[in-house]
Amino acid sequence: MNYFTEKEGRNNRSAHIVSWLFVALLLAGVFWFGFSRLGYRFAWQTIYDYRLNFLKGYGMTLLLSLCSLGLSLLLGIVFGLGQGSRLLPYRYFSLFYVELVRGTPLLVQMLIFFYVIANAAGLNNRFVVGILIMSIFSGAYIAEIIRGGVQSIGETQRETARSLGFSPYQTYRYVIFPQVITRILPSLAGQLASLIKDSSLLSVIAIKEFTMAAREMNANTFSTMEAYIPLAVGYLLLTLPISRLTRYLERKFSYET
Amino acid sequence: MKLELKNLSKHYGDLKVLDRVSLTLEEIRSLVFIGPSGGGKTTLLRLLAGLERPEEGEILVNDHPVDFHSEESLREYRKRIGMVFQAYNLFPHLTALDNITLPLVKVHGYEPVQAREEALVLLERFHLADQAFKKPAQLSGGQKQRIAICRAVAIRPEFLLLDEPTSALDPEYTSEVLDLIGELREEGMRLILVTHEMGFARQAADYILFVGDGGLIARGTPENLFTGDTDERVSRFFNKVLKYN
Repeated sequence: MNYFTEKEGRNNRSAHIVSWLFVALLLAGVFWFGFSRLGYRFAWQTIYDYRLNFLKGYGMTLLLSLCSLGLSLLLGIVFGLGQGSRLLPYRYFSLFYVELVRGTPLLVQMLIFFYVIANAAGLNNRFVVGILIMSIFSGAYIAEIIRGGVQSIGETQRETARSLGFSPYQTYRYVIFPQVITRILPSLAGQLASLIKDSSLLSVIAIKEFTMAAREMNANTFSTMEAYIPLAVGYLLLTLPISRLTRYLERKFSYET
Repeated sequence: MKLELKNLSKHYGDLKVLDRVSLTLEEIRSLVFIGPSGGGKTTLLRLLAGLERPEEGEILVNDHPVDFHSEESLREYRKRIGMVFQAYNLFPHLTALDNITLPLVKVHGYEPVQAREEALVLLERFHLADQAFKKPAQLSGGQKQRIAICRAVAIRPEFLLLDEPTSALDPEYTSEVLDLIGELREEGMRLILVTHEMGFARQAADYILFVGDGGLIARGTPENLFTGDTDERVSRFFNKVLKYN
């Protein structure tokens, strides 16, 4: 069997299957060994009792992530373009925002936003606070994605649009953005996956999302593994399809330049 | 058309690409710029296209000065002229047809249906109808450049500027692009063109400017310039470019 990737159309499907199984078994073996040393006795009954809590949390995580994605896209566009703006206050605001958010841990941002800013602004709805925190966090990363995307469109495109009499707004609207969107779609899908995982930290400010459900069950019943293993599976169920989507989009647009 | 340059200067840092160039040409039909690389001919064309601003001096087209101080009036000026670039510069995300209709609809206020009709007529005329729904990546260099020319012509410009339109092409595609330019010239389209194709320059130009060393080294009709005895820099240039022709 040929254990290297295909060469000149030679079919090595069986090698793919064997390799896949080998890695899966290896991982399973490691985990099985670990758990057997731990001597842990699983009590899966507990998670059944908490199933509603988990499902609600799961729905909350999804909803939070999707709302945050929408808002962070908006922030990303505003501050991604802002970094190249000729209006200096706007440009520096964008630069500060992106560097501060990308340079500090999400946990710290959450605590500061929750205890200082939201408190001072009288924001009591934790769901809204959660969306705001995640949007501000993710928005900085999307701003960088968008800035990179816009920069990747060559100067010649802008110049051509200018020579045809397009206004700056029309140039962005009809020439640059349509090209940027197809180029950054894979990165944006990846950002959604990160957003879903990172939202797990919101449990520290007691937002009842997916991770919070596991923490509550663990606190009440001490069945740590029964709470956290389903948690991992739940996140994977969301992030794996997104990861596949990302790869598909990368392939789809890679040759369409 | 009438073209006047008055003390036109363009500097890049210390480099004076054009230094106080003055010129008056009445009734231009096709004007060709030739000269050594880096000599300023593309810069002169870009100034005429309203894509660069001069450090000093004026350009008058048909006795109207180009207002380089206001971006708004420069845009209005650009709307009235067609520009063709060396590297085609088609929009890669649009089909050939959409490349032509987008400026018609968004800049010139055509109805989409009307723009489409105009574009299809043009494509048909230049034997490009089969390529209408292809993206630039699926087209040959010659097809891309011909579509870029269609895009520039579709807006019915007062005159057409072409910046080395065949320099990026494989030799086999050069003639199809030059044929198209020749056809437009026959129809009375006013042309200003930068080219290294000396044969074409000689055949298609009414008047040639030899641009180099920050100014106009020589000027004249093709007969004058190619056969007459002119500046030594011009004959040296011809010796080089015509060596293998």
